[in-house]
Order: sequence, then C-alpha cells, then structure tokens
Amino acid sequence: MTTVQVRADYPLVAHLLRRAGFGGTSEELHDLASVDYEVAVDRLLDAVDTTSLPDDLIRRYHIDQSDLRTRPSAGSYWIGRMVTTDAPFVEKVALFWHRVFATAQTKLIQGKVMSTQIEMFREYGLGSFRDMLVQLSKNPAMILFLDNQDNHRDAINENYGREILELFSMGVGNYTEEDVKECARAFTGWTVANTDYMALKMRNNTMRPYGYIAWQFKYDESDHDDGEKTFLGKTGNFTGEDVIDIICEQPDTAAFVARHMYHYFVADELPVPQWPHFPPKDPEAIRVMTDAYFESGYSIKAMLRALFLSESFKAEASRYARVKSPVELVVGTLRLAGGYERPGADVYRATAASGFMGQDLLAPPSVEGWMGGSDWISTGTMVQRVNFASGVVGDLERPGIRELVNEIKAQAGHDATPEALVDSCLKLLGRLDVSDETRSGLVAFAGHGESSESASPDDSDKDHQIVSILQLIVATREYQLV
Amino acid sequence: MTTKTGTEIKVNYVDTVGFGADVGGRGFHLPVDLSVRSDGRVFVINRSPMHRRGIRVGICDVAHGWYGEFGSDGKGDGQFTSPTAITHGPDDRVYVADEELNRITVYTPDGEYESKWGEVGSAPGQIHGPSALKFTAEGDLLVVDHQNNRIQRMSPNGKYISSWGKPGFGEGEFNLPWGLDLDASGNVYVADWRNDRVQRFSPDGEFIDMFGVHGNGDNQFNRPSDVAVDDDGFIYVADWVNQRVQVFDAGWNFQASLRGQATVSPWAQEYLEANADELDARSRFNPYIEVDTDVPHEVSARVEAFFWDPIAVEIDPDGRLIVADSLRHRLQVYKRA
Repeated sequence: MTTVQVRADYPLVAHLLRRAGFGGTSEELHDLASVDYEVAVDRLLDAVDTTSLPDDLIRRYHIDQSDLRTRPSAGSYWIGRMVTTDAPFVEKVALFWHRVFATAQTKLIQGKVMSTQIEMFREYGLGSFRDMLVQLSKNPAMILFLDNQDNHRDAINENYGREILELFSMGVGNYTEEDVKECARAFTGWTVANTDYMALKMRNNTMRPYGYIAWQFKYDESDHDDGEKTFLGKTGNFTGEDVIDIICEQPDTAAFVARHMYHYFVADELPVPQWPHFPPKDPEAIRVMTDAYFESGYSIKAMLRALFLSESFKAEASRYARVKSPVELVVGTLRLAGGYERPGADVYRATAASGFMGQDLLAPPSVEGWMGGSDWISTGTMVQRVNFASGVVGDLERPGIRELVNEIKAQAGHDATPEALVDSCLKLLGRLDVSDETRSGLVAFAGHGESSESASPDDSDKDHQIVSILQLIVATREYQLV
Repeated sequence: MTTKTGTEIKVNYVDTVGFGADVGGRGFHLPVDLSVRSDGRVFVINRSPMHRRGIRVGICDVAHGWYGEFGSDGKGDGQFTSPTAITHGPDDRVYVADEELNRITVYTPDGEYESKWGEVGSAPGQIHGPSALKFTAEGDLLVVDHQNNRIQRMSPNGKYISSWGKPGFGEGEFNLPWGLDLDASGNVYVADWRNDRVQRFSPDGEFIDMFGVHGNGDNQFNRPSDVAVDDDGFIYVADWVNQRVQVFDAGWNFQASLRGQATVSPWAQEYLEANADELDARSRFNPYIEVDTDVPHEVSARVEAFFWDPIAVEIDPDGRLIVADSLRHRLQVYKRA
C-alpha cells in the first residue's frame, strides 16, 4: 500500500490560488496542497481549459454573444469564460494584459474586436513577450484605439509609437522623443483592411446597414516608411518588428514588465505614472523576473513561474496585500456558487455588477488602465461589493452554495459551537484568514443566531444560520483582499 | 451513402431584404425565425436581447414592402422575452413561441393578440424551451420541445395529442433539436442540432431516416439550426456553425451549398444616401477581402456579404428560399432554377 504524503501548506496554496486564479474550492485546494509547491505552480501555469461552456451553446441561447457587438455581450462572454474555466490562470493572465495594454470599447464601439484581442491574450499571454508585442501591434483593436491607421509614411501619427514605449514596454524616462518618432515611422503601413469604412463606422457608432464587420490587420507596404531610422542607439531601415526586437533587448523593458507583474500578482504598487519617480517596492522580486526574462528568451511564463516560486511571493507579508479587483471579486464568488452548465442571465448581472463596483470590463478608463489598489474601494463600491457577494452566497438554490453549506454542516458537526461553525465557513471559503477582531465578531454573530433559534434547530434553520455567516464573511475587510 | 448525381440543381441568389434596426422600426435586429403568410407577407421575429426595444415581430415582403410590427419585450399578453419561433396557422393566425416563458402566443393574421397557452415541464403537453412550430395539413401544431428532446403534436389551442423523441443519438432520439418543417406528404424533418443531422419522420412520428454527420464538408453539418422542404421535395438545411445553407434532393443527394452573397437592399441604400460620409467611404469598401482565418464564424464576421449565423430557412408560396441571416439583420432570398 502506498502512502501519499500530504505536504499541505494550505495557506500558501490558498494564496497561490487567489493570485494565479480566482480562489479555489476546498477540493481544488486539497488537490494542490497534496503535491510539492513547485508542482502546484506548474499545474496552474500549464492548465488548459476543458470546461468552459462551448460557444455553440452560448450562441444559441445568447445570440448577442455571437456577434459580440455590445459591451454587455462581450463582457458577459468573458465573465462566463472566467467563471466556468478549469484553467483560471489563462483568464487571469488575459485580465493582466487587458490592464497593461488597456484598450477600450468606449472608443472602438464594437465589442467583437475587443473579444478578439482578449482571445489573442489567451493565446500569446504566456509565450514570448516579443511575440506578444508583435501581435499587439497587429491587433486591429489596438490599431484603431491608438490611431495607427492614421500613421502614414508622409505624415506620421506618433500615438502608438509613443504608447508602446511609454506604457507597454519600457516606461517613461528610458527613451527619447526622437525614439518615439522613429518608432512611429517603423509602424507606418500597419493598418486594418477597408480602413476608411471601418474607421468611419467606428466614429459614427452605427451598426447600420448590416451590423459591424470584424476588423482585420493589413500591412500596406505602399504606406510604409522604409527609410533609415535611428532607434535606441541602433540605425537601420527598421520595420515594426525590428523595433520590437530592439525594445525586447532592453533591460528597462524586462524591469518594466516585471513591475507590472509584481503590481498585479503580488502587491499593489504605486500607480504607473509614478514609476519613473519611485523605485519598485521589491527590487529583489523584479530581479528574479528580469533574470528569468533574459534566461528564457523573453518568456512571460518563465517570469511568472519565477515570481510564484520567489520568496517575495510566498512571504506572509504578500498575502492579502492587494485589494481584489471587482472582476476578481465577482468571478471568485460566482465560481464558489456553481451552476453554469447552461448559459444563463447571471453573467449579464455579474458583468453589470463589476461595472457598478468600478471595473467596466473591456472599458478601462484610460490607456493607463485601472489604477487598482485602494482606488477600488469607496462607500458606493463597497456597498455594491457586499450586496453582490452576499446575494450570491445567500442563495441556497445555487448548487455550489448548497454543497458548501452541506460540507460546513458535515465538518462542523450537528452540535457545532459558534467558533467551530465560523472556522468551518472560513476554511471552506478558500481558507480565508481573518483578524482576531473579525473572527470574534463573526463568532458573536454565529452565537446570536443560535440563541435566537429553537432549542433543537432543524436542518433548514441551520442552513440559514450558515448562509447568514457566509454573508457576513463576504462583507468583511478580509474578503475584499486577495 | 450519398453520392453526387451529376445533375445537381442550381439555386440562384435573388435579393437581400432589410437592414439593421436595433430599437424598432423598419428593419430587423438579430432575426431568429420567419414565417410567410398565405399572401406572401413575411413575418420576422427579432430576438434583440440587448436592445430590448428591438424585440418584436416585423412584417415585410420580398419586394421590400414594410407593413409594421407587433409584440414587444415583456411578460404581458402579446409580449415575449425570448421569442424563438413563429408560424402561421391554416387560417393565417400567427403563433409565436417563447423559450424563456415557455408559452405559445396566438395573434390574428395582422398581429392582434388573441390568446396564449403553455406550461413549463416535461409531462405530456407541458413544454420546456419551444424552439420551432409548424402546422400539419390536418391543422395540428407540431412543437419542437427542445429541452425535453421531443416533438409534441398539439391542437392550436394547446391540447396535447401525441409526442415522440427522447434524449440520445439513436434513431428518433434528439440532442437539443431546433427547427423543423414538413414536406408535401406530411413527413416531418427535424434539425437535430447537437447531433449534427436531420431526421425524417412519417406524419405520425415514425422514424424514416436521418442524414448528416459532424463536419464541414459537403453532406456534413455543424449544428444545423433549421430545415425547409420545397414542394418538389428539395431539402434546405441551415448549417449554422458552418455558415452556409446546404441543399439536397429528397434522396439526400447533395445539390448545392450557399455561402451567402448579400447586396445592398433598398432600405440599406436609403440609409447610406442619408449619410453621405458613409456612402462615400463605402464606395472604397471591398466587401470580399482575403481573410486571415478559416474559421467560418470569423470569416463571416469579416465578409459582409456572407451569411453570418444563418439561423432559419423558409420557402415562400412562390418557391423562394428565404434565409434569416441573423447577425447581419437581414433576409437573403434565393430561388431554385
């Protein structure tokens, strides 16, 4: 008989699941805690989606998620994917790039091009950063968002040339104004098919006569400036791809991307515009990732693997060090609730709820993306968070909640003390750590619930008591952190 | 096994009707089914889920006439929230199915509300997700009760008569069936959506044969959503995920595959002429670009003239094939040569 050694650093694995996914069920937690931490990291990083609802089912019941024209449709399609996938890391990474390479439907109007960009993030989001930048530069949504269709050989528009350096790769202070212009020249001719008509329909915001037409990248050689350029100290007849090669060689690029990763996966950093003026919070974490970047030939996955294995990530101080984004809160809560075997209206409500909490998916407020951190929390957004999460965990009709309640009852036992009930709830909500003060409050609440019930509460009373505790837990400060 | 006969018929493109109108008025928004009244007027269901003012039935004809609309979003009498199917009775009354409310609403031939029936469930006579409606020559209503994987024969006012089908992939079994039609002999054809085939039954529901396997070649289907049969027995299948309509003779011999070739309808032309900047930009628009994908749904997203989710097919009294080209908010009309 073989004995399986349970290594079980549950708090660490719970931390990993919150950061590299949207939190985990007790079963997922147990599975990953049963193997070496490094193996657990690789499992999450290598996971391939097998459980998302198939597109044919989604499109039959939600025809608007077939043309994906509107933001609620495109946003809900993505939320649905995040909720149902068994490879949450892929979606988390897509969400990461959506924040870094912020592109907004508010300007582009049609949601399909945004969904196509997100699909590109899924495909390239863990590969080579060079390939990612090439795909980004060819991405129709990005081209029209940053006006590269107006970047011509005889009249450059430097918008994309500037942002690829400032926001997408190197950061302010690591290039000159001349580099910006030369970079823009290299990207002349990178446009979309049927440029005039597509740009006009976007500006006029019209679906007439026959709906939107998906944009497609087109390289217009006749509009490309193939003259000599000097960029970041190198001279040649550079194309856009040549410029990307030079960008990727820069240590500043590795450090800038690494800082974004730290900001998203480890702890809230200063807002990006302040980065030129302040050093990173954790230079050692940046070093670990930049080393991995160059050693692996610019592999994004290698950088993230190095990050998740680093002491910086594993440290106690990194746990609950970030405020959950609205999407993290919404998706994490819905994944607990389950019941998504068929498409439903829930995803639309969830997408809207995320917007009310301050994160309109596919519509970041500016090219700098969402600031995140404490910006997520205000009186109004806090009410939205609590209402949403307590509404979901309070619904015993949801199969995941029903299962959770049954498991809590089984673990805590029939005559559970308030302490045991609260601990069981916290454990099954992904091993949520709460302060002593919070725990005392929860225990007092659980005790009050008991005393107000009859001497021998029936099953239904117990269910509602547990649901009330869960609702109070999702309203705590700790549940807002990740 | 089906072989090409070498004498395939031709199906010619005739015209495009309609244009996008997502908040009501002349035009369509995400049309999902249509029915042709005995006088040739075409009644089109607009699903329009995200622009709920766009949910309605529009009435037009293939000569581009517009005759108004009826119905709206809601649960009240005459309203619907997720309309899926429409058909005309022998007396030209209109029947509309709603897969969310699980009911059939009956209107006069001109769209005035008359009555409604339907109860959700799986018992005989109850329905769960009605997805298609058609009358038999005897005046009974066939309902594709798709979540129950069966066809129910009902009276026009909702009385249960009989049913056939159960979940599965064997003969007479279904996996979320969608559209249906009857031929001149009363045989019933069902688009067995998730089994990627069409099944044919006798008028009383006895299995006759079935045709199609999963794939994207000739004689293969990927989620067929509807089927229509003309007076000469030719069968038209909306091959939904493959973004085409395939045509067969009564012996399932492949005849033609239509990919769509829409042109600018008069309504669309009026719109463009009222927006000079768009008319001008469209003069430089190449509708048939060389695409960088071979995924049919994505190809259709890029090429405006092609079908994009051809969801319903119907034959009008003059033998024309009318295709609801749902994501392009229009009808494409064809006719067998």
